[in-house]
Amino acid sequence: MLNLLLAPLSEDFFLRALLAIILCGISAACLGAYIISRRMAFISTALTHSILPGIVAAALIGVSLYLGAVVAALLTAAGVAWLSSRKGNSEDSAIGVMLSVMFALGIALMSVGHAWRDFTGLLFGSIVSVGTGDLVLIAATSLFVVLVLRILHKELELASFDEEYANLIGAKPSLLRAVLLVLIAIAAVASVRLVGALLTTALFVIPSATGIRLGKCLSEAMIWAAGFAIIGGATGLYLSYYVAGMPSGAAIVLCCAAPYFAVRVLKN
Amino acid sequence: MSSSRKHWHQMISNACFGLLPAIPYSSADTVACGGIAVSAKELEAAASPGSPIAFSQATFEIPCGCRTALIGANGSGKSTLLKVLAGLIPQVAGEVNVLGAPPKLGRSRIAYLAQKPSFNADVPLQLRRLVQMGTYPHHGWFEECQHSDTAVDRALERLGLLELSDRSVHSLSGGQLQRGLLARATVQGAEVLLLDEPFAALDQTSREIVEAFLFNTENNFTVVMATHDPADSQRFDRILELKNGRLTTKHACVGHDHRHA
Repeated sequence: MLNLLLAPLSEDFFLRALLAIILCGISAACLGAYIISRRMAFISTALTHSILPGIVAAALIGVSLYLGAVVAALLTAAGVAWLSSRKGNSEDSAIGVMLSVMFALGIALMSVGHAWRDFTGLLFGSIVSVGTGDLVLIAATSLFVVLVLRILHKELELASFDEEYANLIGAKPSLLRAVLLVLIAIAAVASVRLVGALLTTALFVIPSATGIRLGKCLSEAMIWAAGFAIIGGATGLYLSYYVAGMPSGAAIVLCCAAPYFAVRVLKN
Repeated sequence: MSSSRKHWHQMISNACFGLLPAIPYSSADTVACGGIAVSAKELEAAASPGSPIAFSQATFEIPCGCRTALIGANGSGKSTLLKVLAGLIPQVAGEVNVLGAPPKLGRSRIAYLAQKPSFNADVPLQLRRLVQMGTYPHHGWFEECQHSDTAVDRALERLGLLELSDRSVHSLSGGQLQRGLLARATVQGAEVLLLDEPFAALDQTSREIVEAFLFNTENNFTVVMATHDPADSQRFDRILELKNGRLTTKHACVGHDHRHA
């Protein structure tokens, strides 16, 4: 049994993948607690899909695809923050608008620029091909996200829980919302590389949705969520290693979802 | 939290403060109020910018320490007036001062309790943390609150909530929640409490505790409270009535209370 666990670790690609999913899992779980409690699950979907125009544009100009993705995600985040800061505009509708606009822009760019190419890697990710450079990028992103969340924890918690009081004492809830969106944007771009655009949402949403049912406060929920993300991510990786033909992204998401359903059933 | 972890937090926040400028989001205003908590002259306001004027030409004064009732029918502008005083909405015309300065956001000396708290029910939160939020204006950005446990305990105790302090906010009754919010205002050190119908959701026990707290003469805060119940008005030092867009001060009761000059 122990041998089954240790054998893959001797392979470099597996070790890198494991580290990557742990790092991404932690930052996604911490952000996810806010995403779930602020009912913004849709935002991570929007951010991962809206990077398409950025990637296409970057491919056309010939700069780093990652840079293009970050710029597009930040633009989307800024657009959502700006649209939803107006009275009478819900965050939900702002996200819906930005998602469609950015995706359409990406498709238009692809057609006009004749940049049709294989974007399957973008859709499904390829965690097993993560290189050392990617790993450094992911580590830096996760560290930055967790650090900012730690520093602004009490303000973010307050603004999520009681926006009016945050406003009254001058803690600027709309500025905090923008900070949160930027963090989600850069974390989403980092994890698209791992599990793909379609499944990044799962990494943000599922472990946190499990954790928030177990934690008595937000920080407890984050710790639970990070735990579930790490366990789910590692189990998924092992599964895809041993089961022939099992894609890693799908295995990770399925392994993250299992505890969610368990908690849902057991803790009613 | 253990003391070693506290120490660790302290070190981190000290390090942050070394690198980043301290930006307290609450203004540290210390303007003396000169015995007048609230004064308004020809005040005119609307529920939101662009909507019809709720009241106009309101001129009144509320001395420091005065318990004031704000009465009037539904839609007469009670909530609007309280929101103007809290700095949540700007006045349309006229002049208004709270503790010697025009209302604005970020003044910890003023606390406002909405008629219905608009909490996000999806954020898990314990009652103690809710009350602790009252210390945030004194901490500013980046700093976790650390030295406030005794103040939080005292406030919880005064409002009869000590044994509930570890309960989830979302499992509390309306009355217990209202008391929690008053505890938060106390911890915040508010000198002016703006309360929008605090008794609307209270059961008998909570009501008694809240009344005892608000009318305790040892508490030297000023209360401006919107209320529907005429029976309440007996206990107040001063009554402001909003009717047909006009405000009248009734029962300014010289001699009724020693707090009045």
